[in-house]
Amino acid sequence: MLRVRDGDEDSFRVLLDKHRNSLVHFLYRMVQEQPVSEELAQEVFLRIYRSRASYEPTARFTTWMFRIATHLALNWLRDAKHERSQERLDEDRSSGMPARELPDRKLSVEQRMVYQARLQEVRDAIATLPEKQRAAVLMHKYEEMEYSQIAGVLEISESAVKSLLFRAYETLRARLAYMVTGGPR
Amino acid sequence: MNCPLLEQTDLLLDYTAGRLDSATAALFERHMENCTHCAAFRTEQAVLWNALDAWEPEPVSLSFNRTLWQRIDAIAAEPWYRRLIDGFRFGAWKPALPLAAAVCVIAAGFVLDHANAPTTTNVAGASGVSITEVDQAEKALDDIQLLRQLDSASHPEAKNSKTM
Repeated sequence: MLRVRDGDEDSFRVLLDKHRNSLVHFLYRMVQEQPVSEELAQEVFLRIYRSRASYEPTARFTTWMFRIATHLALNWLRDAKHERSQERLDEDRSSGMPARELPDRKLSVEQRMVYQARLQEVRDAIATLPEKQRAAVLMHKYEEMEYSQIAGVLEISESAVKSLLFRAYETLRARLAYMVTGGPR
Repeated sequence: MNCPLLEQTDLLLDYTAGRLDSATAALFERHMENCTHCAAFRTEQAVLWNALDAWEPEPVSLSFNRTLWQRIDAIAAEPWYRRLIDGFRFGAWKPALPLAAAVCVIAAGFVLDHANAPTTTNVAGASGVSITEVDQAEKALDDIQLLRQLDSASHPEAKNSKTM
């Protein structure tokens, strides 16, 4: 990023290629809409590009990047909360998941349906978490970030991150407990 | 009674996430052979971990980079004042903040210092008489005293008749 600050565009390309996927995936899991996640990711990279001249390496680059991404995602979620109707959510659910999320084409129809139902349950469970808990879980689980880095992104203390994560996983375990026994609650 | 290790949530989460070093993980393994609470936590968390693993995101669009570079090129083509506004909007002003703060402090100190400093027409005490006027009065008294001394020196008889 220091090279990008000094005007090296090739270094920006390297940063983009290195972090694009993880950033889009994080945003996708936050907002659960692929076009929106890509739009938000573009906005993150544009903000990084615009503010490159004033970049100061006070924190890890990924911490800074995910902080921007989290702010954008939380703002979008707050704006969208009032706009999205239940009808739209139901429509999305009934339209099914993209073929990409199917685990194995060789699964039987019944197995696929079970898989889709479980996956939808996971998505819903994540979506119902409070915003900061959701962000903390996604960074901890999927981005494998340390507590200190999550704390840097969310601008809270490390102990607050641990508390957020504990409560979030507790909620998820309770909600998805039926998966232990193999049947719905 | 619950196991006190359940209070060490970060350790338990790190254990189930496979992020502990092998020695500490082995200690946990041994502990869980005898602790049903921790063993139950491990089982539930492992199930949750697997469930979350199943959620794979969609691949990023192939046009992502191209679209982004088009937007960056559009930024570069913006007029200078627009880029300046954006620079302020996206924090380009931040490095100048300490300098601006220092200038403000110096300016405030200068103003305060000069607001308290005495002027040439300052009021001396609460009588309403200026320092200039006091100086002039003292000078006038000195002059009168000098004139009297000169007068007495030039007419000593007058002085003597008065004393008689």
